[in-house]
Amino acid sequence: MKLVLLLWIMGVIYAVLYIVPPAEGLGELVRIAFFHIPVAWVSVLAFLLSAGWSIQYLRTRDIQYDWKSSAAASLGLLFCLLATISGAIFAKLTWGAYWNWDPRQTSIFILLLIYGAYLVLRSSIQEEKERARISAVYALLSFLTVPFLVFIIPRFYFSLHPEPVINSGGKLEMDTIMIYVLLAAVGACTALFWQCFSYMVHNKQKSA
Amino acid sequence: MPTIRLNLLNCIWAIMMKDGLCEFRTRYAVSALFMFALISLASISMSIGAASLPADLTAALLWVLLFFCAMAGLSRVFVQEEESGTIIALQIYGSGQAVLFGKLLFNILMLLSLTMLIIPLFIIFLNVDIYHWPIFIVVLILGDIGIAAASTITAAVVAKTQGKNALFTVLTFPILLPQFLSSISATAKILMNVKPDISDILFMAVYNVVLMIASSIVFDYLWYD
Repeated sequence: MKLVLLLWIMGVIYAVLYIVPPAEGLGELVRIAFFHIPVAWVSVLAFLLSAGWSIQYLRTRDIQYDWKSSAAASLGLLFCLLATISGAIFAKLTWGAYWNWDPRQTSIFILLLIYGAYLVLRSSIQEEKERARISAVYALLSFLTVPFLVFIIPRFYFSLHPEPVINSGGKLEMDTIMIYVLLAAVGACTALFWQCFSYMVHNKQKSA
Repeated sequence: MPTIRLNLLNCIWAIMMKDGLCEFRTRYAVSALFMFALISLASISMSIGAASLPADLTAALLWVLLFFCAMAGLSRVFVQEEESGTIIALQIYGSGQAVLFGKLLFNILMLLSLTMLIIPLFIIFLNVDIYHWPIFIVVLILGDIGIAAASTITAAVVAKTQGKNALFTVLTFPILLPQFLSSISATAKILMNVKPDISDILFMAVYNVVLMIASSIVFDYLWYD
């Protein structure tokens, strides 16, 4: 399983470096996108999963869900940091500044803040059950900002960010080969996330 | 046990009055908040001297000031109960929803009275002209309700943690941010003599309602172990 994942990631890296053609206007820089998009996708996915497991915890009071929620959030923070940094580098190379509070940058910054707040909250409560309950409540509460981040900011404010792959028109403006490589990269990144995630949860189960 | 059964509205009112009475006896929170506001306003005004600030910067300053004032005092509603050990009595007598909304009402009133004190000082110190008073007041009230709603529920979250006050700001900010950004942009428009769109005001009102509904849903999980 791990070997397959490793080969897959190597394959994607090879494809991104040697097969994908340079894009119109962006040139070689487009290769960053094959790192940036999957990582950003995983950081949002981890947030959704973490909130989902928080609901599960509050309903069932099974501590396993709390471990899952916490593991997803810590990995989410890592992926979110990677997405922010790769995005900032891309922004510097194409727009000329690392950071200018573009709507997308605001969104990912709020996501980063939420992850940070959630993890700080967890570290400040000693008792296990209480920590699980209180942090689950906070995870749900912070979920309120999601509609704002996803729907309102990118639609209502002017943005320099390239159109998302799944845009409002529903049409794809990419080369077929690029789409396949991008999908493979997203898959690889999600699988990597899942692998790390199961490892963390498994460790927790062993130590408990 | 109380002999008179109170309905929810009476319970909310009773809890608000209780907090108001405690506050009136010590006057700790109100005076601390007011002094905090005065110091920050004076330091801003002193450091810029006679220079006039652009409207969007002034609007941002107003809301940053209100936010940090709120962060200095609004967590008290739950932290105080936890520290003095009275939270157990409240858990026995008050239902969760009544406690949440009573405390929320108290926080809203406190923040509104603080705003009434800050705004004249703000106008005097920073020499700002306000063009659309009725809309400005609506924006202030909605923004204050938003800050109070976000901080009441996070106050309940931090009450059981260590390092309550530092954590309180960290937890409240991301939840409040959407509302906070729109209050700043609406205020900036007012200071620039442009009427804010109805959609800005509507967004703030909707976000307040959503915040309150969400806190009412999750509060029971915090209140009843």
